[in-house]
Amino acid sequence: MLYQHLRNELWKLFGKKRTYIGFGAFLLAQNGMLLVFRFTHWQRQVEQLLDGNGYLAQDYISALTVAVLMLFPQILLLMPLYAALVGGDLVAKEAEDGTLRMILARPISRFQLLLAKWLAGVIFCAVLVAVLGGTALLFARIWFPWRNMFVYAPGMVFNVLGASEGLKLYLFSHVFLTINASVILGLAFMFSCFNMKPAAATILSLSFLFLNLVLESIPFFEQYHEWLLPYHFRIWIFIYTQPLPWARMAESSSVLLAFGATTFLIGAAGFQARDIKS
Amino acid sequence: MIHLNNLCKTFGGRVAVDNITLHVPPGEIYGLLGHNGAGKSTAIGMMLGQVWPTSGEVQICGFDVTADRKHALRKVGAIFESPAFYDYLTGLKNLEILSAYTAPTPRRRIQEVIEWVGLSGREDSKVRTYSHGMRARLALAQALLPQPELLILDEPSDGLDPEGIHEMRQTIQRLHRELRLTILLSSHLLNEVEQLCTRIAVLNQGRMVFQGSLAQTRQREKWVRLKVGDFASAARELRAAQLIKDQRDGQFVALNENVGTDQVVRLLVGQGMSVYEIAPEEETLERFYLGLMSEGKEIN
Repeated sequence: MLYQHLRNELWKLFGKKRTYIGFGAFLLAQNGMLLVFRFTHWQRQVEQLLDGNGYLAQDYISALTVAVLMLFPQILLLMPLYAALVGGDLVAKEAEDGTLRMILARPISRFQLLLAKWLAGVIFCAVLVAVLGGTALLFARIWFPWRNMFVYAPGMVFNVLGASEGLKLYLFSHVFLTINASVILGLAFMFSCFNMKPAAATILSLSFLFLNLVLESIPFFEQYHEWLLPYHFRIWIFIYTQPLPWARMAESSSVLLAFGATTFLIGAAGFQARDIKS
Repeated sequence: MIHLNNLCKTFGGRVAVDNITLHVPPGEIYGLLGHNGAGKSTAIGMMLGQVWPTSGEVQICGFDVTADRKHALRKVGAIFESPAFYDYLTGLKNLEILSAYTAPTPRRRIQEVIEWVGLSGREDSKVRTYSHGMRARLALAQALLPQPELLILDEPSDGLDPEGIHEMRQTIQRLHRELRLTILLSSHLLNEVEQLCTRIAVLNQGRMVFQGSLAQTRQREKWVRLKVGDFASAARELRAAQLIKDQRDGQFVALNENVGTDQVVRLLVGQGMSVYEIAPEEETLERFYLGLMSEGKEIN
């Protein structure tokens, strides 16, 4: 039965145009960034960075390098926004539209319904991240050659990799990006299980994330970084360091998965207790 | 089929449903009457396990809804006022999705129901292109898909035009006649309830103020139309003789218990008054309902 419910949720989710706004925005942003990289001093700065460290810039300004560069702003801005938008809609939009009342006139348990919705949300995140990564690489390949990879994130990663190894790690990093997106979606989903408008659920979850970012930037909280989400969200970039920081990756993955499970259970408890009225 | 025992629901400090006990036997078309905010939708919400009772018990088809919702609602279909659908999907997809929450339904069964409600040929159109009447038919189709024994209709005619209301009324009668469904109909359209229901319950500010057959509503107060030369004097004489307890509109009197029209005529003729006409007036549901509501106001 859960499979059937999950299929239905996917029909509902991918059947509406609203779901694809995120994909469209990603495509626009990616092409915009490619143009900026190609025709402004951004590319020259990266070349100087490589040259300054003894690498031949033309070997490393490649589709893979540019694809990862393009991921940073999108993951910081667009991905949380769209994951939170869809997560906030999952329950609250159905309650607002009245379809939730139609569903709950039937003998399905509220927990099972939520589980199907949450799983559909996780699948949406996987698709969103896959499309994000796939199109970033595709568009970058149109403008740049297929060569070695250079990954640089101040204070975290400075690494050069062969093209095939780089591609493997690029794909691997998307597993962690999916976890990040699912956690953000789960947060919005939790709020949407309570009696509130979809927009309120989205705004609350984004505010929570923003608060985490603000706290992280305050020196007083430096010793508490591990308690904040952005610290754990960054594991996807640590994939590119050598040797791989397995302990950090295991720790952050566990924290994120536990956070996701907790938000789901809080949402489920809130949803179970609430009255569904027109 | 439906048993509500001492059911209460409060939202914060506001009492929405106050100690309702209601029994709907199988095979009835049972009317739930009340003004907006009387507690009808909250009571229906509790029957469907959407609203948690503060106290009391709800049993549907012999199962406790709070404890065993899955079994209680297996043979139940419901339609709400202004039914909501996934407008961006086709009618058929909506039916597939909604019916799957009860059990997977074969395509053949869905087609049968589509035909039954008269939506054939439009099932592959997106719901956003449906008229109000078509949406009402789609709502009926989704309610019929689990092959219900009980149908709960919450203001099903809400927003329909007179033609749509008439069609809905005929459909309800057809459902009762052909499929032998037990139907609980919540409405504030007295005319609709009067034409469809065999028994009714009336809610006023969360409390049940009447439960019984339609026949009982007509017998509740015995009004008699009386045409005499001087109605005011006739009424005064009848009151003095304790034959009537009330009068209204310059032509109606309410007889006291065990008083017949023959006694009224005898007294008036004995007093030398001319009696041109005397006839029992059948109480309409509207008058009965308004009487109940004004009694409620007096109590408050």
